[in-house]
Amino acid sequence: MIRRLSIVIAVVSFGLVFASLVIGYAERQSPRPLAESYIRLVPQELGAANVVTGILLTYRAFDTLGEVAVLFMVAAGVGLVLGGERPSRGVPSDVRPDGARPSSEIVQTGTQILVPLISIFAAYIIMNGHLTAGGGFQGGAVIASGVLLMLLAHPQYQPDLEFLGITESAAGALFVLAGIAGLIVADGFLDNRILPLGQFGAFFSAGAIPVLSVLLGIKVGCELSVVLERFRA
Amino acid sequence: MTDLIGSVLVLLGAIFHFSAGLGMLRMPDAYTRMQAGTKASTLGNTLVLTGLAIHHPGWSFKLLIIVYFVLITNPISSHALARAAHAIRLPMAGDAGIDALRDVQQRAGNGT
Repeated sequence: MIRRLSIVIAVVSFGLVFASLVIGYAERQSPRPLAESYIRLVPQELGAANVVTGILLTYRAFDTLGEVAVLFMVAAGVGLVLGGERPSRGVPSDVRPDGARPSSEIVQTGTQILVPLISIFAAYIIMNGHLTAGGGFQGGAVIASGVLLMLLAHPQYQPDLEFLGITESAAGALFVLAGIAGLIVADGFLDNRILPLGQFGAFFSAGAIPVLSVLLGIKVGCELSVVLERFRA
Repeated sequence: MTDLIGSVLVLLGAIFHFSAGLGMLRMPDAYTRMQAGTKASTLGNTLVLTGLAIHHPGWSFKLLIIVYFVLITNPISSHALARAAHAIRLPMAGDAGIDALRDVQQRAGNGT
């Protein structure tokens, strides 16, 4: 009885809290001053048609670098926790005691069609980050979904972890180097004006934003692929 | 007129999506639920995207690629799910003792 009463009280009080939120909500008719200045400045200063990517890769690029570092630490932590009893390199995959059933022919054939499609889509998302919705993080996640499909369709398939690690580190180092180049050539760390801005809305435009986007996509894709590979039983 | 046709197609697609959701709730076992979820949503997706293509003819090529993607992925995923359910011997509702996949596997097992 007391339990039921306390549940009712909890539900009613939650309802009161949310009701006050709903009643107090008023839609904003104009953007805040900060948003307005971003909307004005990003196309003008950075030459990027997509305001969000412009903010993420220039004004808040240091924050983005921190996020990528967090992702890197996640990959390293997963490797540390789950990578203990891996079979040593050089053991052929069919000798490994792998209990997974082979997937059916339909799945394998479908994978052959879908993985190129997914890769092209990922490249499209990454390369058009400065023009439409998209960017490095999203494209990297799509790349990792292609790797996940490969892992599901071919249980014996083993991504080259060493290659992934080296590629990821190189992309990260180049990202930081691009930032330092911004310190020297342009106005500050990770300034996108180290490259010519080009024509607004064109494919090659917005300075270094597409380059940074590509580096970010490679890095995120490699990291998530390593995490997926580690989570395989 | 074209707007009306596009809207009707989108609405038809939404009805198919609704029936897919209803099937997920109402069907008795994993196999029928899965086929309700994937078959009806394949047609629903195609109809919604066709309606969008009629609304915005400029998008048709991209929408065609999405339809192609859905037409490949939905059957493959339902096939993989059904095989996985069959492999762990999930029971069928109203089992009539007919199981073609098991028969084929047994025959292949005896043959070799």
